[in-house]
Amino acid sequence: MVLSVNRRGIIAGAAALPFLRMQGARAATPGVLTFGLSAPPSAINPWANTGTAAATIKLMIYRGLVSFDPAGNLRGELAESWTREGEHGWVFKLRDATFQNGEKVISADVKWTIEQIAAEKSTAYFRAEMQQIERVETPDDLTVRFITKTPLATLPIWMASYHLPIISRNSPKGSFVGAGPFVLKAQERGVSIDLEAFPGYYKKGLPKLKAIRVLAYPDENLRVAALQSGDIDLIEYVPWQAMDAVSANPALKLDAVEGAFMFLVFNASKPPFNDARVRKAVAHAIKRDELVKAAFFGRGQPLEHLPIAASSAFFNPELAHGWAYDPALSKKLLAEAGFANGISCSLLSTAQYGMHKDTAEVVQQHLAAVGIKVELNLPDWATRVAIGNRGQYDMAVMGTAADSNDPDGIATIIDGSLSPSYVRSFGLKTEKITALLAAGRAELDEAKRKTIYRDLEKVAIEEAPLVGLTWRSQGYGMRKAVTGFQNMPGALTFYSGLTFETASVD
Amino acid sequence: MLGFAGRRLAASLVLVWVVVSLVFMVIHLIPGDPAELLLSQGGVAPDAASVAELREQLGLDRPLGAQYLTYLSGLAHGDFGASLQDQHPVAEEIALRLPRTLELVGMAALLAVVIGLPLGVLAALRSGHVIDRILSDLAGLALSVPVFVVGTLLVLVLAQKLHWVSAGGYVALAVNPLRHLGLLMMPAGTIAVGLAAVVFRVTRGAALEVLERDHVRAAQARGASPAVIIRCHVVRNAATSVITVVGLHLGALLGGTVLVEFVFNWPGLSGYLVRSVEARDYPEVMGIVLVISVLFVLLNLIVELLYGVIDPRVRRG
Repeated sequence: MVLSVNRRGIIAGAAALPFLRMQGARAATPGVLTFGLSAPPSAINPWANTGTAAATIKLMIYRGLVSFDPAGNLRGELAESWTREGEHGWVFKLRDATFQNGEKVISADVKWTIEQIAAEKSTAYFRAEMQQIERVETPDDLTVRFITKTPLATLPIWMASYHLPIISRNSPKGSFVGAGPFVLKAQERGVSIDLEAFPGYYKKGLPKLKAIRVLAYPDENLRVAALQSGDIDLIEYVPWQAMDAVSANPALKLDAVEGAFMFLVFNASKPPFNDARVRKAVAHAIKRDELVKAAFFGRGQPLEHLPIAASSAFFNPELAHGWAYDPALSKKLLAEAGFANGISCSLLSTAQYGMHKDTAEVVQQHLAAVGIKVELNLPDWATRVAIGNRGQYDMAVMGTAADSNDPDGIATIIDGSLSPSYVRSFGLKTEKITALLAAGRAELDEAKRKTIYRDLEKVAIEEAPLVGLTWRSQGYGMRKAVTGFQNMPGALTFYSGLTFETASVD
Repeated sequence: MLGFAGRRLAASLVLVWVVVSLVFMVIHLIPGDPAELLLSQGGVAPDAASVAELREQLGLDRPLGAQYLTYLSGLAHGDFGASLQDQHPVAEEIALRLPRTLELVGMAALLAVVIGLPLGVLAALRSGHVIDRILSDLAGLALSVPVFVVGTLLVLVLAQKLHWVSAGGYVALAVNPLRHLGLLMMPAGTIAVGLAAVVFRVTRGAALEVLERDHVRAAQARGASPAVIIRCHVVRNAATSVITVVGLHLGALLGGTVLVEFVFNWPGLSGYLVRSVEARDYPEVMGIVLVISVLFVLLNLIVELLYGVIDPRVRRG
């Protein structure tokens, strides 16, 4: 047989190329999970915060002393147990675990890690917290004793953070060897990350997957399209408008929790928001049901108090509607504060993220109904952060998740004694709140802690250091063939990467 | 001629320096601090001391003038600097991404010409007939639909409904040439839709004009076959206008494929530029703008030199 190649044939072949069905596009390699991340991780630094995308990768590569189980409770990781020793001491007993360079995890590695984080030249997220540790003692290879400057009930919770993994003290300069279930094999910047199972992982039989291929899909619609077309097995940040479609698809499943939340912060360094009555007037003027519908397609819940989840042991049902919609009360409070004729002010948000912009627009309408005339300022995110940090605004929309499900996890957004930041109100120091947060951190008795945080919430509802708006649903979408991966509850949703160790894909 | 080339080259270098300096000033003037942004990701409040430390490590605490001089001196040594986010060399990343954008733009231009040119000639030959009207209306439609709509529709139909292709992404040519080409076709096709309509209109207009010319009528009178007339007279004459128009559009597409790169997850230069601006990653923004402006200046330089070759009066001017 003679094969002849002519011009017509080549043109016809080229024209047919786009219509070739590409079998290779399907995500079907057994034991290899393809994961669509919402953003390319900017930098994978074990101790610095560089976003939730990087944090998810960190949970694959590293492990800390402690972590969270799928129910959200603290569980041992590199430490098998921990106990309090006197007012200022915490003792952690290490288990038999191995770093990815083959060396045993010993107390000297823990000491070295804490020293790196607390060092003068550190850019670590927990730098200030670790500086509260006076010294780290290593009585033997498997025992670590932390002596803190003040009593610290929250130390084990800090140790569970994805910003606090234990790194081998013998890591080559500029790289960080961890003891997590997956080893970073290859990375194409901004495009993909390839990880392979670490055979020496200390949990027997885990990880179940052979490998994970992480692909960055910044466009939310394409991320969903890639899942629906079978290109990838699992995606994070399922957009709210697509949650129904993912749930209804027989080949897919949706795992969503109400973890993150939206709220308003104020510039209290000047009138009118230096007056708690005006802040409360704002709190009572907003119909949160409408916000949930408009900004999150009904995928969320109204938030009329501090962001403490209903599932939390620290939830106070009697305070859960402390800022309920009551326009008459709003107007009364405004009149009491001397603003019976209304207020004109600016509301800072960002046009870069739809949920921030939509939230601002609905809030604007609701406030207008009680006489608060709001002008929107919607720059890009980078500008919004800068303006927020400098306090160049009257009121601002903000969205985040707490550091943990412990009420101390919201300290960073309500404690005005901390340095100015776009995540909390500007120039709003409430001594009672700062004192109660400190008391809660130092108290070990759970019943007493509950009383402290109830008192704190009562003060917060009167003082309105922030105004809660909505819980928002945070969803993972996956093929039904994916098992063992779970969205962690509440504020821990961004810790779901922990469950990659038990995930498998057919 | 050498003097002319030297003058133009010097002017081009000055132009590049002006662009670099302007971009440096503007990107530093707009609000947003790279160190603060990097450590604030995920809506968390970073420790103020950590931010200060990172700023010092990245050299952002130095006076703006000193930063500018350091940058220029680096450039003079061919050093584009490193990303503020992860210290990755900027030049390396541009070298990786520029060919992808060039490939995307090149393939789009090829598709546009392959589709637009023959249809333009056909419409001119059938001027006023039904086929001309249908093609002209389709071109109008193609021009008025934004690229993100075309792209999203392609993803919806070809990837989500028919499962013929991947929803987007990128595989290197060396890894899998067929998949690489397959993934390239959707974004390139999306850009080509509008560009093909432009090519169609230009070709149709040029062809209509050529068909009216005396030498074409004379050829027809001599009994030349329609195929010869189309090939030798119509297409050849229309090609000059098409090349000019496509050339102009290619220049604009160099930094303007953002939406398509985003919709199809194509890791090219435009998407990289947008993300760098969002992160206020100064060395990345500077590097990309520098490369794009040098390419533009280079294109202009070549055109001017060619004018000089064609018309000696330009050299004296």
